[in-house]
Parts: sequence; C-alpha cells; structure tokens
Amino acid sequence: MAQKVRYMSQEWRDEVEKRLLIELTPEKMKNLTSSMSNIYLKCPDGKDRYLFFSFENGRLKELALGEGDPPQAEFRITGEYETFARISRAELGSQRALMSGKLKLRGNMVKALKLASIADRVNKIISTIDAEY
Amino acid sequence: MTKNADPKDLYFVDFPGRIRDIQDAMHKENLDVYLGSRLRTLSWTLDAFCPWRSYVVIPAEGMPTAFTFVIDAARVADDSWLDEDHVRGFAPMGGQDQIEQIAEFIKELLKGWRGRIGIETGMSNYLPEGNLTHYEYEQFKSSLDGCDLVNAHTIVDRLALIKDEGTINRFREASRIVDVGHEAVYDAIMHGGYKGRTETEIAGIAAHAMRKAGSEWEWSFTGGNEIACGYRTGLAGGACTPASRKALEPGEPLMVDLHAMFRLGLGDHAHNYLIHPVTDRQWWHAENFVTIVKRTLQTYRAGITPSRIAEEMMQFAEDQGFSDYMVPGFEHGIGMMGDEWRIGLNDGPFPYWTNPDHVYQQNEVLICALQYACPDEHIGFRYENPIVIRKQGCEALSRFPLGIEEIK
Repeated sequence: MAQKVRYMSQEWRDEVEKRLLIELTPEKMKNLTSSMSNIYLKCPDGKDRYLFFSFENGRLKELALGEGDPPQAEFRITGEYETFARISRAELGSQRALMSGKLKLRGNMVKALKLASIADRVNKIISTIDAEY
Repeated sequence: MTKNADPKDLYFVDFPGRIRDIQDAMHKENLDVYLGSRLRTLSWTLDAFCPWRSYVVIPAEGMPTAFTFVIDAARVADDSWLDEDHVRGFAPMGGQDQIEQIAEFIKELLKGWRGRIGIETGMSNYLPEGNLTHYEYEQFKSSLDGCDLVNAHTIVDRLALIKDEGTINRFREASRIVDVGHEAVYDAIMHGGYKGRTETEIAGIAAHAMRKAGSEWEWSFTGGNEIACGYRTGLAGGACTPASRKALEPGEPLMVDLHAMFRLGLGDHAHNYLIHPVTDRQWWHAENFVTIVKRTLQTYRAGITPSRIAEEMMQFAEDQGFSDYMVPGFEHGIGMMGDEWRIGLNDGPFPYWTNPDHVYQQNEVLICALQYACPDEHIGFRYENPIVIRKQGCEALSRFPLGIEEIK
C-alpha cells in the first residue's frame, strides 16, 4: 500500500479486511466462530461509529463499518475513538484499556478471556496499516 | 466434574426444582429478581463451591445465572449443574466489574421495569456468610435506579431447612469419610505412636486419610481439622481449636475434631482420647462427658426445642455434679457448604442467632455439639456429629464408636 488511508474510512476498512483474510489463518484464529462490535464514541466529526467483526470457523466472514445501531454481536466493546485509535497505533494494549476502564466490554467474560490472545492478533495486524488519524 | 443429572444417583438433588421453589416464593412476595450472595445460597442453588465473592441472579422464571471471579468461573461451571452460559465471570475491567455486570444483567431481565429485587443482608456469627455489604448495597441501589431492594434471605432459609434424601446421603458419605479419618488417627497414635507427634501432624494424618477416601477438603473455617491436646482441650468455651504445633504428651487429653466434604455435604465429628497415664479424676471427667453425650443423642427428636434440650441436659449435669464444666449449648446449624451456624429461621429473640424455641422437624440436619471444659484441670472434651432429626429420635451420621480411649 503506497498511500496512507484515513482511519475508520471505507478504504481503511477494506485494507483491514484484506490483511485479516491473508494473515489470519483459521488455525491462528483457533477456528473461532464469534462476533464483536466495537463502538467508537466521539469520532472526529462528532459521530459515533461501529466496526463489526464476524468470524466463522476461524475465517473472517463479515467486517462492517457504519453509523447508528451496530449489528447484534456476541461481544460489544465501547470506548472513545481516541482509545481505539491508540490501540490501532499499538500505543495502548486492549487489555490495559479494559483494565483501566477506557473500554467497556459486554458479553461473557469467561469466553472473552479465552479470546484475549486472538483479539491481540487482530489488533496487531490492524496496527501495521499506515493510517492517518 | 460432578454433574448432578441422574435422579437414580444416591446423591441426586433436584436443583432445577429448588430454583422453581424459590421462584414460587418470589411470586408470593412480589419479587421480580432474587440476588443471592450468601455462600449457603450459592451452594444450595448451584451445586458448586464458590470460594470467591459470588452471586446468583434468579429471574421470576427460567434459569438462574451465577457470577463469580473470572478466574474461577469455568471451574464453577464445570462443577455446577448450570452450563457455561449461565456462569459468568467478573473482573476489574470496563463493563465487567461485578456491580455493573450484574446490574446490567438485571436491567435486561426487568426489560425497563422498576422491579422489586430480593437481596440477602443481615448479620452472622459465621464470617464467610456472604451477606451483601453496605458498599455493594449502595452500588446496586444506585445502578438499579428506581428498583426496590428488599431483604429476602428467608426464602432460601425456609426452603433449605428440611433436607432432601440426596442431601442427607451427601452428609452421610461425608460422615463415613470422617470416620475413615478417625480410624487413621487411632491407628497412628495407639501403641506409643503418639510420641513426638504434634497437633498439626494429627490434623494432617486425618486429612490424608480423608482425602484418599474422597473428601474434597477439611471445610471448617475454624481451622480445618481442629486438634487440641493438654490444656488446650480445656480452654473455657473452647469450641475452636485450629491445630497448633503443640506436641502430644503423656497424661494429657487429646481432642480430634475432623471435617470432610463430599459434594457440599459436610462431615463433622469429634472424638476424644486420654494419653496414658490417666488419673481417676480424668476418668471421672471422661465418664461424665460420654454419659451426657449418650443422653443428648437419646433426647433429640422431632418436636423438641434447643432450649428444652439445654434445660434437660444441664439439669442432668447439675444432678451428677458436673454442670460447672458444661457449655450450655448442644448443637449448631448445618447445611450445604456455607450454612454452618444458626438453627432454623431468623425468628428468635436475638436477630440472626438461633431461636431457642425453634421446634425441630423431621429431616432437619444439625450438628449435635457438646463442649466440656475444665480450664483449672487442663482437661476438656468435644463431641460433634451431624444428626438427622427423626420422628422418634435422631440418626447420628458418623458411626465412629462413642467413647474416650486411653492411649498407651
């Protein structure tokens, strides 16, 4: 990718999807079937947005970016845009963001605990995208 | 691990039926949700031991959901009859701390209604009781704005009072295991085997034998297996003797109070010894004690009350000339793990203590507990045994022969 893409834009979402499909094998994803909605509050234009991930048998099935109510998901993570941006820039770990209350998780914590390393893998791949924040 | 699914299982307990009974009682008391936090409630509803702060949320109908510290949630789900979707973990993370997670869960159950929520509060002589703390109450009250939080523990207390056959069988098995522990101690200390051993070692010998026989742990919060020798047996009121490093010595009494747990059923049996040489005065104390234990066991039956037992036994001790050494209490409550203090309901003259006029009913289980202490002579004895109240008497669950043996 030669040009920077704007964070949380449709181009950025397409790049995330491309990289996740290439780099995340079902084995690396532990053949996971689950879904997660990240709710980005206070985006730079003042709006709230969501980024919805759905995995089936370890394969990315759907990645949706949008405004308004997010699709139903097994996990729902809510936080400010800047917190997610720091995670995507690898400046802040998602665990730390949760433990400091910067992010709020809804969903079964026991299952979430099992998926913590997978979420880290996803975030690590996202952090390799050269984005404009 | 142990799923409670087969009604033919000797130890089967109808946990879904218990939940339905609670829900029926909730309906009568106009409660929309029951938030249980006491260890006794958790054991009684979940069929799992919850050593960390835990809660059970029971809706007006349908399955309950347990909440416990996240590191233990998978294990609780594995032990419980509930599936993992109904055992949630909480942790110090955004949206996942116990107050927010449970409050959000309850709000979803109430679907926007401002409901009545049964909680468990009060006080207890038993430290791990698990009543809702003031802080928790304030936080839930604030998070569940508009809801009424109503003290409702009596619902569970009333339902848990009379024991079903599966629960009694769990107590019976735990008591059998305790007897195995007593046999191991007996074998270890007889014929000079006591020499050089300490109280902690006696506790360990029993623990090893009981674990081999299937005990999950020496459950008592009073120190696991309680062992005392010498002057420690005669400490005034001395009903709490976590084992110390004191060595067993000739001429001293030895008190062995063992605890085993089998599927949340509790074994609790104390046996006593005198280490050679034994004086006539020591034998006199020992015979007094064995006599009054036998008499007490013969007196328990449905229809009698704690105060009547105490009056009759203390009068007998007075007539025989040893009432000065008797602690005037002859029982304590017992139920599945975490239910270890009050007999019956909270309806006595002193809140949250046993009602002395509680009338025993068939299939109540309690610990027949007698304490004999003579501090001046450095001698004392303890008897404990789970008993099932029957119509015309009681069934003592531990079968280790009653007596006080001389260890030579």
